[in-house]
Amino acid sequence: MSAPIFVRFWGTRGSIPTPGHKTRRYGGNTSCVEIHSAESELVCDGGTGLRELGLELLQRKQPPRSMHLFFSHMHWDHIQGFPFFVPAYAPENELTVYDPGSGRVEELLQGQMRSDYFPVNFNDLGAKIRTRHFDAQATRVDDFEVRCFEQAHPGRSFGYAFELGGKKIVYATDSELDRLLVNRDETERDPEKLRRLPSELVAFVAGADLLIADGQYTDAEYPKKVGWGHARASTVADLAHQGGVKQCALFHHDPLHSDELVDQKIAAARARLAAHGSSTLVFGAREGLELKF
Amino acid sequence: MSKSEPFDLEPTVAGDVSVVGGLALGEKLPTLEQVRGPGAPRRFPLAAVETVVGRGQQAHVTIESALLSRRHVLFRRHGPELSLVDLDSANGVFLNGVKAHAALLHEGDTIQVGDVVFVLHEAPA
Repeated sequence: MSAPIFVRFWGTRGSIPTPGHKTRRYGGNTSCVEIHSAESELVCDGGTGLRELGLELLQRKQPPRSMHLFFSHMHWDHIQGFPFFVPAYAPENELTVYDPGSGRVEELLQGQMRSDYFPVNFNDLGAKIRTRHFDAQATRVDDFEVRCFEQAHPGRSFGYAFELGGKKIVYATDSELDRLLVNRDETERDPEKLRRLPSELVAFVAGADLLIADGQYTDAEYPKKVGWGHARASTVADLAHQGGVKQCALFHHDPLHSDELVDQKIAAARARLAAHGSSTLVFGAREGLELKF
Repeated sequence: MSKSEPFDLEPTVAGDVSVVGGLALGEKLPTLEQVRGPGAPRRFPLAAVETVVGRGQQAHVTIESALLSRRHVLFRRHGPELSLVDLDSANGVFLNGVKAHAALLHEGDTIQVGDVVFVLHEAPA
């Protein structure tokens, strides 16, 4: 039996931090997911949830610490935690930042730490920070095999598939799946029909033990948000079903959604999966939840 | 009171701070309401900083079910937060139907261990 993979949600909210009693259960911090094994510390996105993760890492592991940071893209809600990531300040630590897109990831991280925005300059961070470019080809990161894929989002975004010991975790946030449909006309006529996604995308998520996917909107909200770069939960459910995904965590919750609204969104996605005879379990990503694979 | 005895009284305050671990006087205890499984219905106030539920005598809350591991799940209080950790149990811990290794808990959460189902009440009235 291979070493277990742990996946922990540190930030699940989309767009902007949303603290308060209405979002207590699913959480108000923006995107940050930790994937770790005995050998590896991988982090998906550096939203405000990254701050808490940094504090936890100080407690959990003695330095030197080696961490790998994968950004889906560089919009605010995915990078704002980085200046508050305490392990980045310690000279004994190493942080590798992966850049599948523009080649500007480090420049953009530096930009949000200019003195106009933040008192500490990026170059004053103590840790050894290096940028590593890679494309869709599989890349070895410690004991994980990692692939990336481009998604549908203004300014581009990327999803990642992490595999270890026959287990597969896919992180795919900020993707407007409805723009990729291959049977759009048919599903506009009949919204209950399964919305089919391109075979390349289905292959990326195929067989995943866990798909973490942007399911920001309800069906009622989506028509007003077309082009904003996010998915409706029902289309995420359809993708998970087509890919034979075992569990699907709806992620990047809308800042206008209370815990009760997220519950309703999940219930609707479950009903849709049941109607399609799917065995995929869909649930809402929530802060503090850790899964073991 | 034995470790496995249910707490039937409405939980309010325990006077021994070594037991309640930092609770302010008058603060109400989070409580596990067991709604299914051997011994249900009953309530277990989470008075201690750490409470282990299992079928073994090493557990703080003992439930006689073959589907529970000896030390199955740990509930931990830290300040106002309550969390759980699966203690590498054989049958897992399910939070609202999702198999969880660890989680922060909130009002109304359903926690299933084997054939035992709890509903969490953060601060019962």
